[in-house]
Amino acid sequence: MKIPISWLKEYVDFEATPEELAQRLTFSGVEVEGIHRIGEGLDGLIVGEIVRFEKHPDADKLRLCVVHDGRMELQVVCGATNFSSGDKAAFAPIGAKLPNGMEISKRKVRGIESHGMLCAEDELGVSQDHGGILLVGRDVPAGTSLVDVLGLPEVVLELEITWNRSDCLSVIGMAREVAALYGTALRLPDVAFPESGAAVAELARVAIEAPERCLRYTARVLTGLKAGPSPAWMQRRLKLSGVRPISNIVDVTNYVMLECGQPLHAFDHALVAGRQIIVRRARAGEGMTTLDGVARTLSDEMLVIADGQKPVALAGVMGGAGSEIREATQDVLLESASFDAPGTHRTSVALGLASESSHRFERGVDPELADWASRRAAALIVQTAGGAAARGVVDVYPGKAAARRVTCRFARVRALLGIDVAVEEICRIFEALELHVESRNAEGCTVRVPSFRRDVEIEADLIEEIARMHGLEQVPEAPIRATMGAGVDDSRTWAMMRLRERLIGLGLREILNYSFMAEKQLDRLGGDDAARRLVLPNPVSSDYAIMRPTLLAQMVLTLGNNMSRQTADAGFFELGRVFWRDTATGALGEEDRLAIGMMGRVGRSQIEGRRAVTPEDTFLGLKGILEILCRAQTGQDLHMEPAEHGIMEPGWCVSILAGTTRLGTAGLLRRALREEWRISDPVGVAELAVEPLLQAAARKRSFETIPAYPAITHDVALIVPEAVTHEAIVATIRAAAPLELTDVTLFDIFRGNTVGDGRKSLAYSLVYRSGDRTLTDDEANRFDGAIRQALKQHLHAEIREG
Amino acid sequence: MNAAEIDSLTAQAVAEAGAAGTADAVEAVRIRYLGRKGLLPQIMAGLKDATGQERGAIGRSANAFKTQVTAAVDARLAALRGAIQQGPVFDYTRPGAWRGPGSMHPVSLVIAEAVRIFARMGFRVAEGPDIETPYNNFEALNTPDYHPSLDTTDTFWLGVGAAGLAAPPYQASQLLRTQTSPVQIRMMQSHPPPIRIITPGRCYRRDTTDATHSANFHQIEGLYVDRQVSLADLKGTLASFAREMMGSGVGVRFRPHFFPFTEPSVEVDFSCHVCAGKGCRVCKHSGWIEIAGAGMVDPRVFGKVGYDAEAWTGFAFGMGVERIAMIKYGIPDIRLLYENDARFLAQFE
Ligand SMILES: [Zn+2]
Repeated sequence: MKIPISWLKEYVDFEATPEELAQRLTFSGVEVEGIHRIGEGLDGLIVGEIVRFEKHPDADKLRLCVVHDGRMELQVVCGATNFSSGDKAAFAPIGAKLPNGMEISKRKVRGIESHGMLCAEDELGVSQDHGGILLVGRDVPAGTSLVDVLGLPEVVLELEITWNRSDCLSVIGMAREVAALYGTALRLPDVAFPESGAAVAELARVAIEAPERCLRYTARVLTGLKAGPSPAWMQRRLKLSGVRPISNIVDVTNYVMLECGQPLHAFDHALVAGRQIIVRRARAGEGMTTLDGVARTLSDEMLVIADGQKPVALAGVMGGAGSEIREATQDVLLESASFDAPGTHRTSVALGLASESSHRFERGVDPELADWASRRAAALIVQTAGGAAARGVVDVYPGKAAARRVTCRFARVRALLGIDVAVEEICRIFEALELHVESRNAEGCTVRVPSFRRDVEIEADLIEEIARMHGLEQVPEAPIRATMGAGVDDSRTWAMMRLRERLIGLGLREILNYSFMAEKQLDRLGGDDAARRLVLPNPVSSDYAIMRPTLLAQMVLTLGNNMSRQTADAGFFELGRVFWRDTATGALGEEDRLAIGMMGRVGRSQIEGRRAVTPEDTFLGLKGILEILCRAQTGQDLHMEPAEHGIMEPGWCVSILAGTTRLGTAGLLRRALREEWRISDPVGVAELAVEPLLQAAARKRSFETIPAYPAITHDVALIVPEAVTHEAIVATIRAAAPLELTDVTLFDIFRGNTVGDGRKSLAYSLVYRSGDRTLTDDEANRFDGAIRQALKQHLHAEIREG
Repeated sequence: MNAAEIDSLTAQAVAEAGAAGTADAVEAVRIRYLGRKGLLPQIMAGLKDATGQERGAIGRSANAFKTQVTAAVDARLAALRGAIQQGPVFDYTRPGAWRGPGSMHPVSLVIAEAVRIFARMGFRVAEGPDIETPYNNFEALNTPDYHPSLDTTDTFWLGVGAAGLAAPPYQASQLLRTQTSPVQIRMMQSHPPPIRIITPGRCYRRDTTDATHSANFHQIEGLYVDRQVSLADLKGTLASFAREMMGSGVGVRFRPHFFPFTEPSVEVDFSCHVCAGKGCRVCKHSGWIEIAGAGMVDPRVFGKVGYDAEAWTGFAFGMGVERIAMIKYGIPDIRLLYENDARFLAQFE
């Protein structure tokens, strides 16, 4: 909200620079977001008379004007068209400087010399308006200083009014705050005006059919008005406040709204059918065209102002085009009403239509204000548009509420604020804020809450008033208290942090992607999960249309993006949440997942950098990380089973298990997918559930006796068909070996002519150890024999001797 | 032997030791000059016969003979041993072979640091789901359904059933939490006071992405409910956090504000850690940086979770993790945090 300080000073006296005032306001609850100095640097500018003009010979959109600057006539080229001969306008003569620093010099525009410049409001820094040059009254003599005519310079405060303080959405509301801060009195304008002729009640009837939505409705009728521009002082204040002047009657309603916070609406009384106002809910499907020219379909949740036949306004939001004030308007029905906050908000949201009026009503407008505002507006309309006001007012007030009383216990002030505030100071603050102290004893006081302070409902609200007026800088920094409650169980968070640190220790970089993703991105990954996708009803864009059901799609994207930024070697992980909709129940689900992605020579020493990365390298590198992770985080060994996944290469995709618990899927990215990103090396990806990986924290660890007797290590080498897996060999060895076999380690794989086509040679070291004695070579040889026999028998292995 | 003769023997012995080609040859030199039957005992014997001033000179030369020849023999032996064992010189400046440059994301770094700082002050960590009910996210937090933060322009509503959004109000619909405050509600519902928690987590608001806005972001909120907790405790806690997080010289100040769930409510500024409050580009020349929203828990919130607002008071605060990361590390654009450029991530190793 913008407020010119000069307007504020009409209602309250204070001695302070704009900066000092801004500081006081900011530290008492109304943040000053900006101090705008309007009209500074206009010193050299004057009023020029446009004596006559013609079209520029070489440019259709330019005019050649003869401007009189008070002493002589000058030729000036101008691009605007909003003037006629004899108008007076803002004129920058040669040598003058505009507020934006531009210096006016004699220059040629399309071949014709221009001796100065006729200025628009934005060029003067007065507003954002560039619709035409700034015109002043025709009675102003040419040559007058522009600053004198405009009443400038002005300082305008830009304020952020919090949602609860609707009473501050006006100049008078802010003046009331300033008066409380500076200990001065609030001065309200006189709202008396002459009334004559018929009584309003004879000219208009008002019925409220939805009293739960309309707390009060007042109507006045003004007749014999003459539409025209509003006075310059009013236009100036409207513009400084960011409102465009339109015509005298409409300007008055806007001016009074800015002044006191009560939205007003003026109907052309001749266009109100049956001269009656009915405040009712719209009928479902009922239509109406609002002032902005949009035809709207209404629902029965919306409140309308109707005449005898049809809706003429959307209550509290916007007037209707059908009863709008026109140039020919003579009689006006002036509405000053109070509509409920939730209903106004819902209507505004449902129609996507917000206005200065709805902005105020949905934060709450004091119903007690309606009549004062109506009088103030009537007085100003009569003053600026002539005519006469009918006698009296129609005032239907179903929502009148009794004044609220709230008690403040002094001990509670200290309890909440941590400071002692003297009782006298507390009462002084309340009185300054018009929270009249009605009774008081040693324990506390009871105040009567004025109707405009809709936000003050309970004791804590009163204590907040004390805090902000007394000054939050008074609150000391108390030392940290050492008392500890039993506390919330936060072991999962700490386990999660350890998991993250382990992944970093394994050499991976943590990434973070959005929870949203594009539908097409999922489709490209071959997803057949459309029914499970959690599609956002109101996404910010189609790129963020779905809550991600997997971390893998973005992991691939991240790897690809890095590749295109010339990072060819990378190992990433993300700990993030995925989301879905249960296809059977419709329930929404979410869980944490871990994704890992690796490409290029990640993990390999530099000196080996040029050696090609094989699919085995990448898969086994990823597997190594998963093995460590699985053992460390679950206490169990990793197992893999063949699997299929839309984005993974067939034959290179596995399910990951910790013992029997399924963790997720790992594998190599499909070649076609990585080639879209011009990634030539294999890409390893995995996605795992997080919960099983957090068991490390809960895992029981216990000591086992360290072996006391030495181990014997023997080797066995065998040749088997390619189809025989390492896992099968180990299983066969384990099954045939006694308990003394503690470790089986694969240390060599060899293929070649000596082995034969379709076969491979593998070499294992076998470690035997007994817990209660030193083993002999003979015993170990016997163990070897059993194992060799089993390998030959079950796997048809050829044992390589020596 | 006089002193000059001893000195020339010294030079001769040192030269022979230096020229010896094998360890055996060095040993032969040692025996010849320093051995029990070598020249050294003869020199020492000669010293006994010497007289007067001659004796002093011979003594000094004899000492020099002993130390210099011993040193020459040891040095030659060491040189021969080294030459045999070392071969070519090892270049330890080569790159190491173990390469795995892991790094924590700056958002996680800030959360981890904040969690540790608050844990030292007695705060436990609580987390909750991203998909929330309007009750936990708004109603229990004393936010009426006509507050603009509920609008579909601000909040991601997830729709009713599979049908999408109904008309407002949306109570039947779930939503993506706009703050981590619903975790406070969940914790207060399940734990009696006193309670002291912080709630880090991901939140969602329908902001259009630009340099300072992101439709998903992270928050850390805190809640402390106990006997006689006051605004002064809040200030002390946040001041302590400010010093540990941003630097020992950083202070805090409160400005009055409004939040539906706290009363009184304040906005919290930290003094600028870059310019120490003098004013610079980072703090937009004000000396202060807005960091958090906070206040005393509204008694109506206590009413919703069944806490006795007469017996207990409490404070709550909330701050944006990305914002802190940007301020602390000087990151100019929030989007950098979600682009996952390895060159960016590497800066946080
Ligand atoms: Zn600074």
